[in-house]
Amino acid sequence: MRQEPSAAPLAGLRAVVSASGVAAAYAGRLLSVLGAETTLVEPPGGSPLRLEPPFLDAQGQASALFAYLATGASSQVCDLETEAGRKALGALLDAADIFVDDTPLAQRQARGLDQATIAKAHPQLVHVSVLPFGAIGPKADWKAEEINALHASGEGFLLPNGLTLELFPDRPPVKIYGNFSLMQGGIAAALGALSAVWARPQAGGQFVDISVQDAGLAVGCFAVQRYGDGSVENRHIRSFKYGGVIECADGFVELLTLEQRQWTGLVELLGRPDWATDPALADSLERSRQGAAINARLREWAKGQKVADVVSKGQALGVPLAKYAEPSDLLSNEHEKERGFFAPISVPGAGEVQSPTAPFRFRGAPLPLRGGPPALNEHDPARPASVPAGQGA
Amino acid sequence: MTGPLAGIRIADFTIHAAGPFCTHMLSQLGAECIKVESAVRPDAFRKPHPVYGRMGPATFDQVASNKLSVRINLKKPQGVELAKQLVAVSDVAAESFRPGVLARLGLGFDALQQVKKDIILLSISSSGQTGPDAHFAGYAPLFGAWGSLGTLTGYADGPPVEMRHVMDHTIGLNGALAVVAALNQRRATGEGGHVDVAGREVAASLVGEALLMAASGLPVGRLGNDHPRMAPHGVYPAKGDDVWVSIAVGTEAEWRALVKVMGASALAADNRFATAAKRHDNREALDAAVAAWTATLPPEEAVSRLQAAGVPAHASWSTEEIVADPHLRERRAIVEVAEPDGRKRAAIGAPVRMSGTPDIGIVRGTPALGEHEDYVYGELLGLTRAQRQALQDEEVIH
Repeated sequence: MRQEPSAAPLAGLRAVVSASGVAAAYAGRLLSVLGAETTLVEPPGGSPLRLEPPFLDAQGQASALFAYLATGASSQVCDLETEAGRKALGALLDAADIFVDDTPLAQRQARGLDQATIAKAHPQLVHVSVLPFGAIGPKADWKAEEINALHASGEGFLLPNGLTLELFPDRPPVKIYGNFSLMQGGIAAALGALSAVWARPQAGGQFVDISVQDAGLAVGCFAVQRYGDGSVENRHIRSFKYGGVIECADGFVELLTLEQRQWTGLVELLGRPDWATDPALADSLERSRQGAAINARLREWAKGQKVADVVSKGQALGVPLAKYAEPSDLLSNEHEKERGFFAPISVPGAGEVQSPTAPFRFRGAPLPLRGGPPALNEHDPARPASVPAGQGA
Repeated sequence: MTGPLAGIRIADFTIHAAGPFCTHMLSQLGAECIKVESAVRPDAFRKPHPVYGRMGPATFDQVASNKLSVRINLKKPQGVELAKQLVAVSDVAAESFRPGVLARLGLGFDALQQVKKDIILLSISSSGQTGPDAHFAGYAPLFGAWGSLGTLTGYADGPPVEMRHVMDHTIGLNGALAVVAALNQRRATGEGGHVDVAGREVAASLVGEALLMAASGLPVGRLGNDHPRMAPHGVYPAKGDDVWVSIAVGTEAEWRALVKVMGASALAADNRFATAAKRHDNREALDAAVAAWTATLPPEEAVSRLQAAGVPAHASWSTEEIVADPHLRERRAIVEVAEPDGRKRAAIGAPVRMSGTPDIGIVRGTPALGEHEDYVYGELLGLTRAQRQALQDEEVIH
């Protein structure tokens, strides 16, 4: 693989993705935005992700989730229930470096997707299996959606915290919005895929086993560490003693002072009121002990403040403060604009839409998006991108 | 160690959580990671600090595991030179200072490129290396706030929710991915480069579909435990105190299996629940029926019955249950690590298993400050005992 220095990092690499769930599809998106030529292999009716709400159109044809996950990919229908479909996939894999697949274990052999069959036919291929609980272990056949994965990996039990928990102490734990855990599985899958590609000169192709639960657990590792230190986390003790989510006159801010100088800056931001300059509060543990009283004062003060003022003045004083931004805010923020975080994509059925690019930049530039999500079976570059979803086969 | 990244060396200047998690993941995959600190500026997480109101143990051991430790006082010009010598024998340099700090120290990307032409520099920060907010200070909850992940998380009738360490660590996981992408590109082009990972952009990247909706002028907001399509979908009380079961029903087959396991033929016959769309419309009533059933069972009993019938379900696990789980132990997602004093503790392994380069994981626990200077300064950089002593006397190695 030779490429121009200015090309995207994975230019020249080819990935094939068979995804009915978010984790494998997100791995595909990450590989695609990093520059790999990515083909989504779909059954005759299309990936079920095409039917996942929310939708960008009134007809329920243009899934926002699918548009995000499949950005930049092409689509090829392969009916793996047939010999011809399996042959077509085989031809794709002959030319590919990476194959990402989330087919349940029990269905793999019949479709020619099991580890041994793929390794024999494609010895140089990096074969990435993405399953809720991985490909080995007593739960390898278990099913999980996002909410199950979040609760199997620990973070589910630990949310909410802070203000939400104060307001609703008796409600069930609340999940993180969207598909947080599944996406951790996707990031781990892309990391595993590229690590295997890196090792290919020595190791050849190999099987990479990704479990969404493992990935969610990894990013929640501090709870495991604290367990080793003798404390079991739960959401009732996992709250910062003061600061956190604070309501201003026109929205919410996040305030978190972990260092002494940040507390000093906060006292300045508050206008040095008597209660805040009490010498006892110079001690961080004493502040924690008086956390509830401090928060009562902060909340009272914040009621009369505007979010933008608090954040800009606070940050100038070195106080970690952020607006709880609405998604629409990100589209109009000068910061995101200057960094080119959004770029237009064409979504069949919904037209041109601004889409996030990638959460990493190389050599000072955002990674370009190479088109929107494909219509079904849209793999011919000459085919117009406006074929409605579901009608391209 | 012969993991997939064996032979890769990282000069690691990162501190706190996100950066150290990134390099920890790369070290579990086989890279040799040399952590740079000093007695005057140890990693803030190496010291006890009063998170959650107790001056308890710092959350340092996990992400410091596997790393080699050296002392370099970057306040001294000779310290900067020593850091450059380390970078010159490394493939990757990683840092998580505020944007501009590294350059002010004399260790910006251009300076590092002078000593190692194809160096890959990873910079992790709250808002990125450029843009009007680049100077902003931040921690995990702030990244979630800026990126709208925290705004969108919460009960529909409640406020936003703070993201915690998982936010830091997903930034680190994204950083690790970006570094391995850059390594593959270096192999293809011979060129390194500066990789810029912004915490707020990682948070935003995890709600991509909501951002597409907003860009189309469509409403998005907090959903609690609701799913836009599935019902029942939620966290239901199980028998006991603060124990819960998560259940998600996404297909007709799963719905039929659920009502069979529940023994609730009345639900199956109820017209309010006859189709997926009706079940979603009437999810409040459905949730109440499911909760009444789950409350009669210990969580693991409910889950084993549901999984046996093909319904996605899992208990809401505390750390105690996770650490003891045979499945996670078999996968080495949970491992035992021995500290220098012989004490053992549970830690997480790498979330990647590989058939051809299987030596992935933790080979040593937390390093003492400066523990590996004989190897790094003696063997790698070729400094003599006398040279090292002189640098110590001048508080450069300090």
